[in-house]
Amino acid sequence: MKQERFVAMYGREWDSLQFWLNALERQPRRTLRQEQTLDFPQSYRRLCHQLALARGRGYSREVTDRLQRLVQQGHRVLYRPTAPRWHRVAVFLLAGFPRLVRSQWRCMAAAATLFYLPALVTLLLMQLRPELAHTVFSSAQLAQFEKMYDPANPHIGRSSGTDLQMFGFYVMNNVSIAFRTFASGLFFGVGAVYVLAANGVLIGGVAGHLNAIGYGGPFWRFVVGHSAFELSALVIAGGAGLQLGLTLLMPGRQRRGPALVAAGWVGAQLALGAFAMLLMAAFIEAYWSSIAALPNVLKFGSGALLWLLVLGWLWRGGRGHGDGA
Amino acid sequence: MLDTVREIETPEGISLHLRAAGALPRAQAWMLDALLRMGVFMLAMIPLSLLGVGGNGLAMLLLFGLMWAYSVVCEVWMDGQTVGKRTLGLRVVNADGTPVTWVPSVVRNLLRVVDALPGVYGVGLACTLIDPHARRLGDIVAGTMVVHTIELPAGAQVPTVAAIPPPVVLAADEQAALVEFAERSGQLTLQRQEELANLLMPLTGRRDTAAVSQLIAHANWLLGRA
Repeated sequence: MKQERFVAMYGREWDSLQFWLNALERQPRRTLRQEQTLDFPQSYRRLCHQLALARGRGYSREVTDRLQRLVQQGHRVLYRPTAPRWHRVAVFLLAGFPRLVRSQWRCMAAAATLFYLPALVTLLLMQLRPELAHTVFSSAQLAQFEKMYDPANPHIGRSSGTDLQMFGFYVMNNVSIAFRTFASGLFFGVGAVYVLAANGVLIGGVAGHLNAIGYGGPFWRFVVGHSAFELSALVIAGGAGLQLGLTLLMPGRQRRGPALVAAGWVGAQLALGAFAMLLMAAFIEAYWSSIAALPNVLKFGSGALLWLLVLGWLWRGGRGHGDGA
Repeated sequence: MLDTVREIETPEGISLHLRAAGALPRAQAWMLDALLRMGVFMLAMIPLSLLGVGGNGLAMLLLFGLMWAYSVVCEVWMDGQTVGKRTLGLRVVNADGTPVTWVPSVVRNLLRVVDALPGVYGVGLACTLIDPHARRLGDIVAGTMVVHTIELPAGAQVPTVAAIPPPVVLAADEQAALVEFAERSGQLTLQRQEELANLLMPLTGRRDTAAVSQLIAHANWLLGRA
């Protein structure tokens, strides 16, 4: 068949498809309700067939380029990702995320050790030799911690500011730390190891110092509420970074490229879960932990309950056959 | 061919051509996005500053959204394009050429931290220069790439002259070579044009300037010009 005859036979079909695709880019909802939408997969396949024919018969670039452009546009529409659904978010948080954490338990255990061990060691050292606080923190920092956790302060855990302000601050600060911990794991895991250990020393140092000078009461009352979500999320983000770095070092029985893509997929989901946990932690920290007037029983009781809840969720969540995903 | 085009075969047995975008247009798109985000933040600070300390919290939340969520939300809802990328005609696509989805977009935007590290995007720049598809580290881990969306119409730069059909039927790659010669002839010296055109003596049957104009006329016919 001559090129002119080919174009004359199918040209109108291409024009109408081009028109529909252009309309779809401008007004997606209205165009999708048109009758032509139902025919689209069929006409797209026909178009692919015509492009292959045009190539095979060596038609000029005028025709092949035009069909190629149309095919690329159609490919984007036919294979576009499905719209995100809120239901999937709930399923992920309740089942998928805990399952993913458990599947990476080696990295999570390593991350927990890297964080809690320095924290505990620093805490104990501060009890034995309180003057060490001055090597870890500057005196201005120490003065601020002491002001924040002064037993006379009506709002524990902060020197000034309202609940909303602190909520914004905690979200910005903590989530940024968690995301950076995950991302810096790409440097063969070194970044994640550093952030985890450094935060361990920092948090253990503050706890140890305040305990040593007798401000332990307000401090523990403050942190017990949100620590379950916050510390677990930090450990999970660190573990996600570690598994990314370890995949780069030891891709296993795969080439590095595909292994990294798989590890990135897992890591991003872990980071998203950690983000949700940190939102929860920031909310508790800003609106519940700072209330000084509650009795100890309520503070420590709710804290213990939250720890049980978080650990139980990570341990049991998504087990059983009802995967729902 | 020495080119930045990546070919992907679709389930229909057709190959898609993805033209990888280099560091420069992407840096421009990033600058546009950065300016836009700064502008939005400053505008939002005007009413927020009237709210007192509580407004500070909202400002922090907004800053968080602009820093971490802006790119992901834009890429997922706007067919793989942030505002800057749309202006520059760029798009983020998955490995199979479809617009980027949630998880890969999160990966590539979180790993910006690594790409941005020494100074301004030092790692990212080095990586885009080394990688054949100009991907930065985040793109490699996410399995995505940034492509140009604007398709140049073939032969737009071919000078228009009266078309002459070639005496024999040419194969597809021969056609492509002829059109590309006509496209680039304007950038070559006259001597070089003639030297190249003389190679096709058997086709044109002419030499020097006459051969060049004959080839451009053939290219016009191949492009379907009257």
